[in-house]
Amino acid sequence: MVQTEAYVMLSVVLFILGAMGVLLRRNAILVFMSVELMLNAANLALVAFARQWGNTDGHLFVFFVITVAAAEVAVGLALIVAIFRTKQSINIDDLNQLGG
Amino acid sequence: MTTEFWLFLIVGSIAVVSAIMMLLSENAVHSALFLILVMACIAFLFLMLNAPFLAMVQIVVYAGAIMVLFLFVIMLLGGEKLGGGTPFRWMTPGAMILSLLFLAAVGLALGSGPISEFAAAPGSPQVRVAHFATDAGVVDLSVSGVVVEEDLSYGDTIGYLSFPEGTYEIALVDAETETPLVAQSVTLEDGFVGTIIAYGGGEQPAIVTVPDNLSATAERSGRITLFNALSTEIPVSLVDFGNEFDETDTQVLVADVAQGQASDAYDVAEGTDLRTWAVIESGNESNVLARLSNEEVFDIEREESTLMLVGTQRLFDGSTRALVVPLVAAALPTFGSPVDVGQLLFSRYMLPMQAVAVLLLVAMVGAIVLTHKRSPSAALARAQLGRRRVSRPLTSVIAAQVGHDISGPGTGAAELPEPVEDGAGD
Repeated sequence: MVQTEAYVMLSVVLFILGAMGVLLRRNAILVFMSVELMLNAANLALVAFARQWGNTDGHLFVFFVITVAAAEVAVGLALIVAIFRTKQSINIDDLNQLGG
Repeated sequence: MTTEFWLFLIVGSIAVVSAIMMLLSENAVHSALFLILVMACIAFLFLMLNAPFLAMVQIVVYAGAIMVLFLFVIMLLGGEKLGGGTPFRWMTPGAMILSLLFLAAVGLALGSGPISEFAAAPGSPQVRVAHFATDAGVVDLSVSGVVVEEDLSYGDTIGYLSFPEGTYEIALVDAETETPLVAQSVTLEDGFVGTIIAYGGGEQPAIVTVPDNLSATAERSGRITLFNALSTEIPVSLVDFGNEFDETDTQVLVADVAQGQASDAYDVAEGTDLRTWAVIESGNESNVLARLSNEEVFDIEREESTLMLVGTQRLFDGSTRALVVPLVAAALPTFGSPVDVGQLLFSRYMLPMQAVAVLLLVAMVGAIVLTHKRSPSAALARAQLGRRRVSRPLTSVIAAQVGHDISGPGTGAAELPEPVEDGAGD
């Protein structure tokens, strides 16, 4: 049985990669995909700890995270489409109108 | 280094490399495809973590629905060409430093001690009680001097009761005279699940505590445990007589259960026909104590653990007969299986599930509203047309048709009145 620590470490590495994607990439769709990667990394840690404690509640949380992620992607992509219609760009550095 | 660990290393490194490639690739379509690979790797890791249900959900929802949506939007917007210039923003060094700090923090936390030392706290002990004392009559059950159940007659059982950890004095008290018949002190530890059985004949019945095996059953089968609660000291066996007219096909399923003992667990496939089964005295096929011929009572369902109690019942005329009573309890579902997740989802997590369902509906409506293109609506166009018809004087309509203004000065024509309502002139 692979130890829980190994899974947690892998999940942290994936989470960091996702966070770097959110911070560094300029394409809004890429930023969105990086957020999904972060959610998945968190899911992996939850499932690993669920096995550690022999408790199915962790699986339920992952289930809810996946469901909420699906809703988030639907709305987020619709927002990106709407922004693209008005600005003809999805480069997040161009979306600075609220910055003053 | 076991095979499983190698598998974890390979799949984990594929996931990490794919995630890096997703970050670095210029083309958004390639990024999406690499992300699908990461999702698939994580689904595989879910399988290794005993979460088959979540692995399937991960594949269907993430790799199926969400990523198709991503690819669709990328293609729709031509997103793979966007970005212009460097795909990265200015804060690269800062983000790098923060990430390394986070990695170091988690590494420090993991390095300070193994997580594996901790284990789940077991729940409080649970016991059920069965009254099979042949000559005790109607009794009350008292636990440490407190009567928890009154008027138990022979063969009655009480479902699982939950107690705090500790030592208890379990006693059977005669219901009428209130004299204690038998008492025994039982120590219940956390996580213990068992059955307390009173059995035996005469004035002094015995009390024994048997742990219940409620672990997950084999696939599509139930579990039978035999307990000998007869009043006489004969060992019993569970046999399958098979064909009624064939003496040679008798199979012994559970052999030699002594008085006051429980047998080992015996797995039975779901829906097995128990009508040919019987409880006999060990080694003496002619002494059939009881047949399990009643389909209403003896029925094997999957994921059930059945404790079959063989007892001696005193009839009204003083004679005795053997009686078999099944105590059925639901075995625990396999960890992480759809049944396991579903049972929690539809019991303790019912309200969150409804909330998430509403959230999904709202998100669906929101996505439609956000992407809906606002064109001049048909209703607005009709309203404008109607207003023009009313406000336009009849003279200008005629002017448009004959080619010159008929109402101007010098034409001599009489002024036509303005139309007062729609449809008066045109």
